This record gives sequence, structure tokens and C-alpha cells, in this order.
Amino acid sequence: MTKETAQATAPTLRLTDIRKSFGPVHALKSISLEINRGEVIGLIGENGAGKSTLLKILTGIYQPDAGKIEVNGKSVKFRGPRDSSAAGIGVVHQEQSLFTNLSVAENIAISSGTGHRTGTRFGFYNWGQLNRSAAETLNIIGSKLNPKTRVGDLSFVDRQMVEIARAIRVDAGKDGSPLVILDEPTSLLERGETEVLEREIRKLKAFGSVIFVSHRLDEIIRNCDRILVMRNGELVADRVTSTVTEDELFKLMVGHASHASKKSRTSIDSSATPVLEVSRLSLKGKYSDISIAAHAGRITAIVGTSGSGREELSRAIFGAEKFDSGSIALNGSKVRGWRIPKAVSKGVGYVPSERKVEGMVGGYSAAENIVLTHPGKAAVGPIVLPWKRNKIAQEWFTTLDVRPNDIALELDRFSGGNQQKVVMAKWLNDPNLRVLVLDHPLRGLDPGAAETVNEQIKKACDKGAAVILLADTLEEALEMGDEILVMRDGAVTGHYDMNVDNPSTLDLLERMV
Amino acid sequence: MSTTVATGAVSTEKATKDGLLQRRATKLWQAVGPLVIFVIMFAVVAILTPTFIGGGGVTIVASSAAPILLVALGQAFVLNIGSIDLSNAAITVLGAILLAMTLGPLGAVAPLVVLIMVTLFGAVNGLIVAFAQVPSFALTLGTLGIFQAAALVVSGATTVYVDANLDLVAWLYTGAIAMLPMTFILGVVVAVVAWLFLRFTRPGQGMTAVGKNESGAIFSAVRNRGLKVVAYSLSGFMAGLAGITIIAQAGSASPMGLGSDLLLPGIAAAIVGGTSISGGVMNPLNVIFGALTVALVPIATTALGFDPSTQNLVYGVVIIVVVALTLTRSRSATVK
Repeated sequence: MTKETAQATAPTLRLTDIRKSFGPVHALKSISLEINRGEVIGLIGENGAGKSTLLKILTGIYQPDAGKIEVNGKSVKFRGPRDSSAAGIGVVHQEQSLFTNLSVAENIAISSGTGHRTGTRFGFYNWGQLNRSAAETLNIIGSKLNPKTRVGDLSFVDRQMVEIARAIRVDAGKDGSPLVILDEPTSLLERGETEVLEREIRKLKAFGSVIFVSHRLDEIIRNCDRILVMRNGELVADRVTSTVTEDELFKLMVGHASHASKKSRTSIDSSATPVLEVSRLSLKGKYSDISIAAHAGRITAIVGTSGSGREELSRAIFGAEKFDSGSIALNGSKVRGWRIPKAVSKGVGYVPSERKVEGMVGGYSAAENIVLTHPGKAAVGPIVLPWKRNKIAQEWFTTLDVRPNDIALELDRFSGGNQQKVVMAKWLNDPNLRVLVLDHPLRGLDPGAAETVNEQIKKACDKGAAVILLADTLEEALEMGDEILVMRDGAVTGHYDMNVDNPSTLDLLERMV
Repeated sequence: MSTTVATGAVSTEKATKDGLLQRRATKLWQAVGPLVIFVIMFAVVAILTPTFIGGGGVTIVASSAAPILLVALGQAFVLNIGSIDLSNAAITVLGAILLAMTLGPLGAVAPLVVLIMVTLFGAVNGLIVAFAQVPSFALTLGTLGIFQAAALVVSGATTVYVDANLDLVAWLYTGAIAMLPMTFILGVVVAVVAWLFLRFTRPGQGMTAVGKNESGAIFSAVRNRGLKVVAYSLSGFMAGLAGITIIAQAGSASPMGLGSDLLLPGIAAAIVGGTSISGGVMNPLNVIFGALTVALVPIATTALGFDPSTQNLVYGVVIIVVVALTLTRSRSATVK
């Protein structure tokens, strides 16, 4: 390599010995890494491994306790997001975060500094310059969008282009190459727009570097040049993509090989009374005439699109929503006045998809959350015994390997995967659990946490509970389900007993749409 | 190489220690902040006015804190569950008037009857908030007016004097333990019972859960509506106790008299005592010091010889500063 100026040969980003702690938790223990111009780096790790902390340090939201950050060879200190964005580091967030009532140009300008080139000065817009600089930025990523268009009028894919334009900004790349962080662009992945993602990454690669964060190991391998693996706040591996396999990555992330065994199917004892019998349940405009017989130890997976009525149905089973007609019976006896407290007292549990809103009381400690639904074991009548509560919580923390191992910590301070473990514990703590309704239980979970949750689902089955599962993906439904119910527009359009039938994802899709 | 590793380990350890210390310090301040602030303020006043303690300052502060404390404890229960009760001071006045009217004819049964009535008034507030889902601010602003009107009608818009049996309650004001009047002791006892209730009972824990995240609590089978009714009933009950202390002190009650201006001091005392306005944080023991602080400020400004026209100014500034010091902040910088 010929020796040019220091700037041209310096890596886009170099971190040296970055550390960050929150209270007793070492979120990052000495992270050092380099990212070169034009590289696409995959960043993976379990929830709680320190990925988000690292990203927040790169974007100026957190300040590291120690260590050095260099961008294009220059040592920098980020006091806030504005500093990191001025240094050429941009983020495309998990969810689209655009202002739909503003124009494309305004959206691009809003996160950039004030100055002549960006078209804002002293807080005032110079509309001509604003639109020109937005068009220039869009041009870099090969988009021909009109900067004056209102973002609300754009298609999903075009909005994604605006997100990227906003991340790279106009003045980045002039004196170095920009670094764009794609933070779990799940909105794209969930829509199956993987080719859009690949195109984005190719374009970004042409003039800058990319950090791609995802839980999907196949996506990571397909798109990245190099893969960084984080575990417990440390960088445990730095591999060139061609030298690793998915299994290896999993092992590096979790610390042990995947021991997810294929679930053994449970067959129906047709003479037994179903634990849960839903007969001809209807709710006007949502679903009609739904019948389900869920047996002990079996998982009934319900698949369907978002308008299929499966969410409403699952909430009706838990007593969280009303139904117009039909009936629900537990162990053969019909229930009356079906509300959440009654359902819970009869041994019905529910893990909602909106974990932070409905699944938990974030400001309460993990221990208090675990005994909240079934305080019986930790109380004598109405009197709560804190030492009993702590003992129960500690047992669950050990069983589920919840990290950090601190039952007194407020639950909203845990990572998503560990929160979900606690939410599961809350229901598994019921010795008489009969029906467990799971709405997207693995959403946003890293493979390690997902494995733990899946194990607990199987354990609940072994103890005789009937499980109703609204899975994230069809593959998950096919793998976990003993029985699969397909719903479309509020009606059951397919029913498979997995002991007998062997439907493919295509078979299910056909009946869903 | 080995040296860098060693220093690295040390600095990480140090960072951890600092973080842990910080967390412990925050928790400690949450636990004793209101006490410390009251003690400091009281000491300053005592030093600047040497006659303050000798002249019965302690008794004066405690007896004027008593009704504030009782109203504030009820308010704190409602705030803790995520609502507000603007009508509780009006319930105090109505309760005091009812007691003044019934003490003569009913004797010892009268306080009991009045307490049952005010608890029901509170329960009505709670039932409407929980089941008709009227926002608590709007509803209790309305019932505030209704209870005030009821007080006017019942009393005939004049002062009602207790015509007999006053000694049944008067001992609360005249009796004292260690310079502290029985009315204040009553407030402290209620606070201790409230503390035990919140910390060690299922309904108490449920109430705090509802205040922290109502949806999360509902989906955990916490009976949020029932608990709201309980919180408002407690607010009514404690407002009634405050009404009894007023009769004990004055022997009479009127719609415009003692107790009619308890609403804002009650809210201030709850908040100075560390209760969160947005719900989910409450320590009844700290409300004691919140009430003492709120009661101390006007007495202290008088004792220190402030011009009467500046007393409200001082009161306002002190409340703001004290709340800024004792407020339990959430990690995000948003405050309702």
C-alpha cells in the first residue's frame, strides 16, 4: 500500500479500550475494533451482550467511562447525537422514524447541523439550498426522489431511502467516509423485503462503511464482509464471513452449541376432555364461529395475517376482550363472567406481544413482577412475605439464567430477552397452569433467550398445560405446533394435526391470504 | 501487556463501585431526604429564633401539621394509583360540619357515623373514576363543588357549634405525648399503618403496580378498578379523620372556616414527602415530614419576622426548592 496522507489510510472508525458500566453492570468491558472504508460489518450478540450500549456510544447518546474513539484518524469526543452525526456517523433505526407531515428535504435537514450547505442558518430555512442539498444527498444513494414531496405520501421503500439519506447527510463524506449503522432494520425484514436491504447495503458500501445489526444470522452471513460477535460486554470474535458458519456464530454468541431438539409431538388422547374448549366463538367484525379443542401437553399454533382475528381471539380466551356469542369451557365446564382475574385464577396465562406495555410493570423489581399474578405462594392471605417472594424469584432467576442476576433491579432495566424470561416465570409460577396463551413470545429475542423461552414452553406442556401459540413466523409455528389452525378474515380456513398431516409453509400461506 | 490488563481491571472495578455507590446514595436520599430537609429547616428556624422551641414551637408545628398530614396521606394513596383527588379537603369540611351537628345528639357514635359517611363519599369518587372512566381531575373538580355546596346547605352557611359531648374528641387536641398533640400522633399512627399496608399486603402492592403501569397490572390480574375505589375510599376516610381533628381543635366548623384551605397544602405535603404525581411512588412515612415541612414554613416566616406580604412568596419558593430536592425522578427526563 502506498503511503498517502494519514487521513486516507486511517480506518473510518477505530475504538480503543472503550468501557461503560451502569451501576454494578459492566455493559462494555474494553472494546477495541477497527472498521475500514467500504467494509460491511455484521454486529451480533444476545440481548444484553452490550450491542445497544456500543451503538449508543457511537451515536453520542452515552459517553464511555474510558477509551478512545477515532473517526477517519481523528480522535473525537461525542457529547450528544449532534456531534456524532457531524462526524459522519448515521443511524437507520429499527422502526422508521420519519416525520410524515414534513417534506423529504426537511426530514433530511432536521438531524444535520446548521450551516450554509445544509440550507439552515440561525434556525431559518433557505428553502432553495435545503432542497438542493437534499437532492444531492439522495443522488449519492441513487434515489431520484423529489425533495419537496411530503414523506407521508411516499411508499415504504422510498421512505427507507429518506432514512438512509438522513443517516449519511450532505456534508459527511467530504473529508472522510461516512459510517452508517443499520440497527436491526426489522421493518424491512418482517415485510420480507430482503432484496431492498441488500440493495441498500450495496449502495452504502460504494462510498462508506456499514455496521449491520441483526438477530438473523443468515442475513448477516449473506450481507457482511466481517462479523463481530459480542458476549457479556466483550468482543469475543472478529471473523471474516467466508470462514464461519451459522452454527459457529450461534455458539460464539451464546457460549454453547444450540441444543434445541426437535419437539416430540404429543398425540391426542381422544377420550380425554380438552383442557380448553372454545365453541363457536364470535365477535362481530373480528372473527366468527371459531371452535378450538386444546388438549393437555399440546401446542396449538394459530397462524394468520394481522387482520385474521387471531389476536382478538387469543385475548378473548384470556378474558381481556369480550366476545358476542359462543362459549369457552375449561376442563369441560363452561366459564361465566370471563374476565382477566377470573381467567388467571382458573389457571390461564397470557404473554402479550406488547411486552413493555402489557406484559410487565417496568418500574417494579423483577421479584415483584414474578409474584404479581400469583402472589399466593409468597403470601399468607393478603400479607406478602418478602423473604418468600425473594426465594421464589431467585429460583426462577437460576432456572432461566436471567442476567444480571439481581432480583431487586427494576424490570425495565433488563434487556428484552431477560424481561421476557421474567414474564414467562410470572405464569410458570402458577402450579395449576392449565392454558398458556402466547402472542409472539419470541419477538425481538436473540437466539439464546429464544431457546430458553422455547424450553419453558415445552416444560409447561410437560406439566400438562395446553398452549395456544401465535408464532412470529410460519416456520416457528410448524416447528413448535402439535396442531395448526389457519385463520383468514375471522374464520378458520385450515386445520392440521401435525401427527398426521405434514403441511408446508406454502400450504399455510395459501389459506392465509 | 500485562500491566494494561491489570489497570483495566482496576478501573472497571472502580467504575462499578462508583455506580453502585451512586445507586445506593440515590436510594438512601429517597428514603431519608424529606426527613433531612425538615430537620435542617427546623434547626435553622430554632437557631435564628431562640424562643421558638421554648415558646411551644414544636407543639404549634405538629398541631397545624396534623390535618395536613391526614389529608396528604389520603391524597398520596390516590396519587400513587395514578389519579388525583381534588375533593378531599371539601370532604374534610363537610365531615367536620356533620360531626359538629351529630356529636351532641349521637355522642360517641357520631365520629363513627361520620367516618362511614365520608368513606362512602370517597368510594363514590372512586366508583365513578373506575367504572365510568371519567378523568379523575375533572371528576373530583366536580365533586369538590358538590361537597362544598353540601357543606353550605347542611350548615345553613353559618358556623356550627358542638352543643354537647365535645370532650369526646377534644382530648385529641389537648392531650399530648412529649409535646406532640394527639392529633399529630393519630396522623403518625395512620402513616405507619399505611406504610405496612403498602409494603406488605397484596392490595397495597397492587395499588403501586397500577400506578406504575396500569395496563401491565391489568394483564397481571390486578383488580385495578376495585383498588381505585379502595384508594379513594381511604382518601375520604382520612379526610374525615382530618375533620375530627378540626372539631377537636375548634369545637366548631363552618364552610369557610378551618380546613377549607387544606387542598393545596395536602397536595404539597404529599409531593414534598416524595410521592410521585404520575403514580407508582409513595412512602407514607415521608409524607409525615412533607406535612411537617409544609406546616413549618408559614409558622417559621412569622417567627422570623417576615413581612406578611412576602410570606406567600417565601412559601412558594421553599416548596419548589424542596420538591426539586426530594422528587423521585425517573430515568427519562420527562415529568408530567
